[in-house]
Amino acid sequence: MRLLLVLLALSAGIVSADDGLAVKNAWIREAPPGASMMAGYLTIENTSQHDNALVAVSSPVFSHVMIHRSETVDGIARMHHLERLPLPAGGSVDLAPGGYHLMMPTPAAQPTAGERIPLTLHFADQSELQVMAPVKKKP
Amino acid sequence: MIFHDPRKLRLARIIPWLIVAALLLACAPPQPPHLQQGTLLPKAKPVAGFNLINDKGESFTLKDLQGHWTFAFFGYTHCPDVCPTSLSMLARVMAKLKQQENLPRLPRGLFVSVDPARDTPAVMAKYVKYFDADFVGVTGEPEQLQPLTRQLGILYAKAAGDSGDAGYHIDHSAAIVLFDPRGRFYALFNVPHDADKIASDFMLIRNYYEASE
Repeated sequence: MRLLLVLLALSAGIVSADDGLAVKNAWIREAPPGASMMAGYLTIENTSQHDNALVAVSSPVFSHVMIHRSETVDGIARMHHLERLPLPAGGSVDLAPGGYHLMMPTPAAQPTAGERIPLTLHFADQSELQVMAPVKKKP
Repeated sequence: MIFHDPRKLRLARIIPWLIVAALLLACAPPQPPHLQQGTLLPKAKPVAGFNLINDKGESFTLKDLQGHWTFAFFGYTHCPDVCPTSLSMLARVMAKLKQQENLPRLPRGLFVSVDPARDTPAVMAKYVKYFDADFVGVTGEPEQLQPLTRQLGILYAKAAGDSGDAGYHIDHSAAIVLFDPRGRFYALFNVPHDADKIASDFMLIRNYYEASE
């Protein structure tokens, strides 16, 4: 029964940990030809009563994954590197185009739409979540 | 002329005013459209000559902006988030405009790279065609790019990177510029961009332009 629930959750694209963290709607934008960097997006829900933070992301497919934020101020788009992404208790944080995102160098074997890439999210409370992020060609 | 029927009399009194009103309407200049996302320049701004290079390695000048509408976005191919998001959005604008029956010629989509050191014509060619087979990429050395960007109020500056792979980022204006078929700076679309709104704004802008010219 538990296995069935896990499978159902996986098929719905939701991965949750026992400590009240859940990841939804993870996806990675297919890199246009020649693009050296790729971006990944997801939503993290912290249903616990404790503040947490995303402190690192790792993947066997990428040499490294950075947490970034795009910000457009006075019409100028800028990118910032974040050491940690705060996840307030009872809150939900979107990593979405034009805002927070994961940034990683495009590997030599360029992932294409339809592939699924494992990402491991590391949190400030030492917990981890694994998620399969499909590569998509979308806005 | 004498009207015995009071209704005819009233009509006769109204007719001259109706004619005046019709004349006023016909002579009045068209009113600028109410746009959802775009900002029309109060007066179309002529663009002074510039000399860039396109994704085939050919010269790209002011003449290449003339004879058709052009949407231009300024960015760089090493940008993983904002640039692909904007170019995908612009490709959707084009797809929506292609469905318009009363559009004789589609606007062109132009990607101006503000990173000539890394974005060679060959790099840009593969990159822009991924979004839309009709998109054109152009760039130029800073001394060639700036005469164009300065006229449009487009800003860009290198920012230190945080990864050996990326090397550096470029902060850049996120707006989309619209050139009219005379190659003039005609309208600006600031973020956040919405393909439906930009496509519908474009139709209004084009109608206004045709009524004004």
